[in-house]
Amino acid sequence: MIWIETIANGIFLGGLYALIGLGLGFTFGVMKIVNIAQGDFIVAAAFIGLALAPWTPGAALLVVIPVAIIAFLIGLALQSLLINRVLGKDQIPQILLTFGIAIILRNGMVEWFGANSRSIPTGSLRFASFSVGGLRFGVLPALVLVIALCLFAALHWWLRHSRMGRTIVATADDYEVVQLLGVNYRRVYNIATGIALALSAIAGVLLGMRGSFTPYSGVDRLLIAFEVVIIGGIGSFWGMFAGGLILGVTQIVGLKFDPTAGLMYGHIVFFLILIFAPMGIAGLLRR
Amino acid sequence: MPLLQIEDLEVFYGDFRALHGLGLAVEEGQTVSIIGANGAGKSTLLKAITGLERQKKGVIRYAGADITTMRADLIARAGMTMVPEGRRLFATLSVEDNLRMGGAMGRKGPWTLPAIYALFPALQELRDVNAARLSGGQQQMVSIGRALMTNPRLLLCDEISLGLAPKIIQDIYRCFEAVKQSGVSVVLIEQNVTLACAAASYVYCLLEGRVSLAGDPRSLSMNEISAAYFGTEAHP
Ligand SMILES: Nc1ncnc2c1ncn2[C@@H]1O[C@H](COP(=O)(O)OP(=O)(O)O)[C@@H](O)[C@H]1O
Ligand SMILES: [Mg+2]
Repeated sequence: MIWIETIANGIFLGGLYALIGLGLGFTFGVMKIVNIAQGDFIVAAAFIGLALAPWTPGAALLVVIPVAIIAFLIGLALQSLLINRVLGKDQIPQILLTFGIAIILRNGMVEWFGANSRSIPTGSLRFASFSVGGLRFGVLPALVLVIALCLFAALHWWLRHSRMGRTIVATADDYEVVQLLGVNYRRVYNIATGIALALSAIAGVLLGMRGSFTPYSGVDRLLIAFEVVIIGGIGSFWGMFAGGLILGVTQIVGLKFDPTAGLMYGHIVFFLILIFAPMGIAGLLRR
Repeated sequence: MPLLQIEDLEVFYGDFRALHGLGLAVEEGQTVSIIGANGAGKSTLLKAITGLERQKKGVIRYAGADITTMRADLIARAGMTMVPEGRRLFATLSVEDNLRMGGAMGRKGPWTLPAIYALFPALQELRDVNAARLSGGQQQMVSIGRALMTNPRLLLCDEISLGLAPKIIQDIYRCFEAVKQSGVSVVLIEQNVTLACAAASYVYCLLEGRVSLAGDPRSLSMNEISAAYFGTEAHP
């Protein structure tokens, strides 16, 4: 029985990991850009959530909404003012740029907030639990999984069925041809980065509610994001979700065996998949 | 004044100059063909006109305005679009969503989804099929349909017969009658000289980035054309 509980907790955590990967995967899928600063944006969003938390007393989760909106606007500004300037066949300028932004963000956060470990208060939600068939689960982790699932489904649906979503998909397929149809691909990129940062921000706030964070947590977050995207298979939406679940379950089960392991077992699974199925889960299914 | 007028156009890929002072004109309602061997610079010319290729010198005038340095999406909004070489459909979208992307900017005109399905009835049944699963000929129809959905004033087509069976080429070329009827001016790029000459009222031949011959195809001899095409001396 204890194993069912452990695996369920792994799945709860995995949903959040999937969400952490989604921002990075979406950015890469649409623009072929790797945003190295994604992890630090996730942490910055947690700090914004911490600052705004007193404004949503009694309904702690609602704070993700203003944080997502702020992150969307930051994404628009980041893409239009900085990243669009370095786009081109050469990937290096864009990687250097986002790497630099990551360093500035991290040090800015240390300067403003100090290096202490923080957590976003969630009031009574923190210790609330429910039981199913004699097993007890935390309400917050379960809610986080549901939110992650809803966001994946909503983004998937929106990309297929809305006009803007279709334009984003078409731009991802061929950013030159969309211009022949009157689409300003830079504007599409601005919106895509806004969405990616909004999703990352939601992940950051939820992570900051479930656990703790410091200004240095961004590196871990970025690593998780990379692992989720690669385990899932680059460009595969639901593969990414599965990637998050695999990582979450491995980590929680690993900790059960070996309480000091931290993220190690997750990294080992990532390594094995990189060696034996470099195209990820989506690649395995496609075969 | 011609709808499209190009003077002294030079296009560069880094240090390499692909076009050397090229000039041509397309009148409103006219169909013009541009022929030339592989590597002559035909695709480069179209990419420069549509704004996709930005490293260029010279003057490109369209509908009375200088568009030499204009952004590609704004040129498209002004009514010029292209069927790109190799079709380049949006591979993750369905046939109908590919066509819808053409209509996304909302230029008014005769070309709507029903009009495209009337032009290419084969596409109607395939509307929900993923574009990547179509045959080459069907893909070419979608690519032409997508371009028409922008309701262009000037339509540029880059080697639409490439790699297709003769029967399919015939089917596809038949659509240009309806396209011309709707008042659209057309530029056809072809390696197939017979097709190009039959479809157009004026033909340019490109050789190594320069115009090597231009004229009404009915007044040009096959001998002249093949000399201009291959860069050999015309023999009597
Ligand atoms: N992206 C590019 N970079 C460098 N050289 C190119 C590029 N595209 C085309 N070229 C060169 O420019 C010349 C003209 O090419 P292109 O316009 O594609 O010819 P065509 O369409 O007539 O076959 C060729 O010599 C080709 O090698
Ligand atoms: Mg070509």
